Amino acid sequence: MTPQRLALGAALALALLAVLSLYTVDQSEQALVVRLGAPVGVVRDPGLHVKLPLVDTVIFYDSRLLPLEPPLEQIILGDQKRLEVQVYARYQISDPLLYYQSVRTLEQARSQLTQIVSSALRRELGQVMLSALLSEERRPITDVILNETIAKAQPLGITVRDVRIRRADLPPETSQAIYDRMKSERQRQAKELRAQGFELAQQIQARADRDRTVILSEAQRQSLTTRGQGDAEANRIYAQAFGRDPRFFEFYRAMQTYRQALAESSPTLVLSPNSELLKYFGNGTRDLRP
Amino acid sequence: MDVRMEAVQPDAGADADARPGAAPGPGAAPAPGAVARALQALDNILRSLGLEGKGRIVFGAFVLAAWILSGIYRVEPDEQGIVLRFGKWVDTEEPGLHYHFPYPVSRVLLPKVTQVNELQLGGSAEFAPGSTGNPTTTTGAGTTAPGTARSDLANQMVTGDENIVIAEYVVFWRIKNAGEYLFHLSDPQATLQMAAESSMHAVIGEYPIQAALSDKRQEIADHAKEMLQRILDRYQAGILITQVQLQRVDPPAAVIDAFNDVQRARADKERARNEAEAYANDVLPRARGEADRMNEEASAYKEQVVNVARGEIQSFLSVYETYRQAKDVTSWRMYLDSMDQLLRKSGKVIIDSSGKGGAGLVPYMPIAEGRDKGAAAAPAPGAPR
Repeated sequence: MTPQRLALGAALALALLAVLSLYTVDQSEQALVVRLGAPVGVVRDPGLHVKLPLVDTVIFYDSRLLPLEPPLEQIILGDQKRLEVQVYARYQISDPLLYYQSVRTLEQARSQLTQIVSSALRRELGQVMLSALLSEERRPITDVILNETIAKAQPLGITVRDVRIRRADLPPETSQAIYDRMKSERQRQAKELRAQGFELAQQIQARADRDRTVILSEAQRQSLTTRGQGDAEANRIYAQAFGRDPRFFEFYRAMQTYRQALAESSPTLVLSPNSELLKYFGNGTRDLRP
Repeated sequence: MDVRMEAVQPDAGADADARPGAAPGPGAAPAPGAVARALQALDNILRSLGLEGKGRIVFGAFVLAAWILSGIYRVEPDEQGIVLRFGKWVDTEEPGLHYHFPYPVSRVLLPKVTQVNELQLGGSAEFAPGSTGNPTTTTGAGTTAPGTARSDLANQMVTGDENIVIAEYVVFWRIKNAGEYLFHLSDPQATLQMAAESSMHAVIGEYPIQAALSDKRQEIADHAKEMLQRILDRYQAGILITQVQLQRVDPPAAVIDAFNDVQRARADKERARNEAEAYANDVLPRARGEADRMNEEASAYKEQVVNVARGEIQSFLSVYETYRQAKDVTSWRMYLDSMDQLLRKSGKVIIDSSGKGGAGLVPYMPIAEGRDKGAAAAPAPGAPR
């Protein structure tokens, strides 16, 4: 062995030691150091860390929020309505030691958490009405579920950060009933709208008809008044003029009638020779002689 | 033996596969003989490349320089550089050219922070979270397994009045804080989707169906956005919701006909009203026109009778004037004039010399000779019926 080889060997041994005793904790991780089976410390600080080689074991845990998505559950609410509820939760491993001691594996943690969430959900939702869930009271309800879950998960070394109702649907069997109700509601609305249309149309038409009748009768009244005024005026004029000599008027008017109306009917006349008209017919010129 | 539990791959990171901290366990310690063999092998390789003596030193220096220079990295304008030293987040770099200690001491993650991502929810795209062009995202799609089979029901939401609507919406988001985004959530995108669904369901549950279908859509989207942002901030997710768009809110297919019929009924109502108004608009002006005509006719009549009266009395007065000047002659002439006219039109003139007028003749004579039957048949005024 040359000294060169010796130095190289020493360097390699040193490197091996470094590899065995150094470890890094990622920003998204935390670590539990276990010395020969006994936990000795929790490392929350990311970066380079030292451990005893061969003796210490480092168990890494995620320090981020972890997902939990329990399956869909059918829940009977306080008002006996059934609801299909799906929740999701986000949790964090807050105490790696406790976590290591109580659940150890991710699957175990998930199944336990799922049970905790499910029972909290059933208990709380079993007391509320659907109408409450469909309102601003939803928040306090989910808060109660969250608080209960937090308390139950604490001994597992887990901090539950949030439990939320992802969706709450009516089950298919109930949906049909809801559809029917929605349909009948719409039908009612449609009927009402059409009837309202008829109502409006009738109102408008009737008003128009009434207005027309009023307008026409008004006009009739006015025109009759006007005509009457005309007749009255004419009468006044006649009376004024004819009043001057009623006897002559009588004669004048009679002449007009003979000439016009009577003549129009082409009458058969039977005349007496004694009449004023025919006085010359019988007498000849006798009257003219003095 | 190191046990790495829940070592989920970082969601966003340019070199996410690099795990410098994964130190080999004690079981992997090579035997000293093996080290000598490896050195021999290296020696052989270098020798075969023609490197000996000085050449080896040059080669070593070259390798060292390359190793040191491998710490140079560039942050693109849409990225942020998250520098990790031994896994610890030590720095956040802005766009530009930077240096970090070479592997395995430091590494850098380069999430795209300015890019606005789109997450389509509801509808067919429900379970393929849209991470449009974000190559650093790998989770999300895989973590939404529960409910996948129920995608037909997935976008159904119960409204405040216990009706059902189907909603499609899009969430636009970008990374607000790269460090939080990378290190606070194990599955930021799936979490975003869950939170988005949760808030949209909650908000729609506070509104009646009519509001959700029509005028309150914007309000619902705004509320959902606020709520979603609040939830994400509580998770310190480092995500900024830029917009929530409610794209489509429909009643379920089973009842859509009834809803459409309401729309039709609304149109029918409008139509009935329009028709009635058309009728009114037709009738009223006509009536007014007719009224005007009646009034005008009446005034015309009035003018007419007055004028005729005036004319008549004018002519009467003229005649009267002449009559006054020669009463006997004028009246006799007027009488004869009238008789003249009358006799000219008369069909028959009988002169009864008995001097008793027509009285004796009447019983034996047909009054009408077929010339004017109607007039003859008419009963005399005042005759007993």
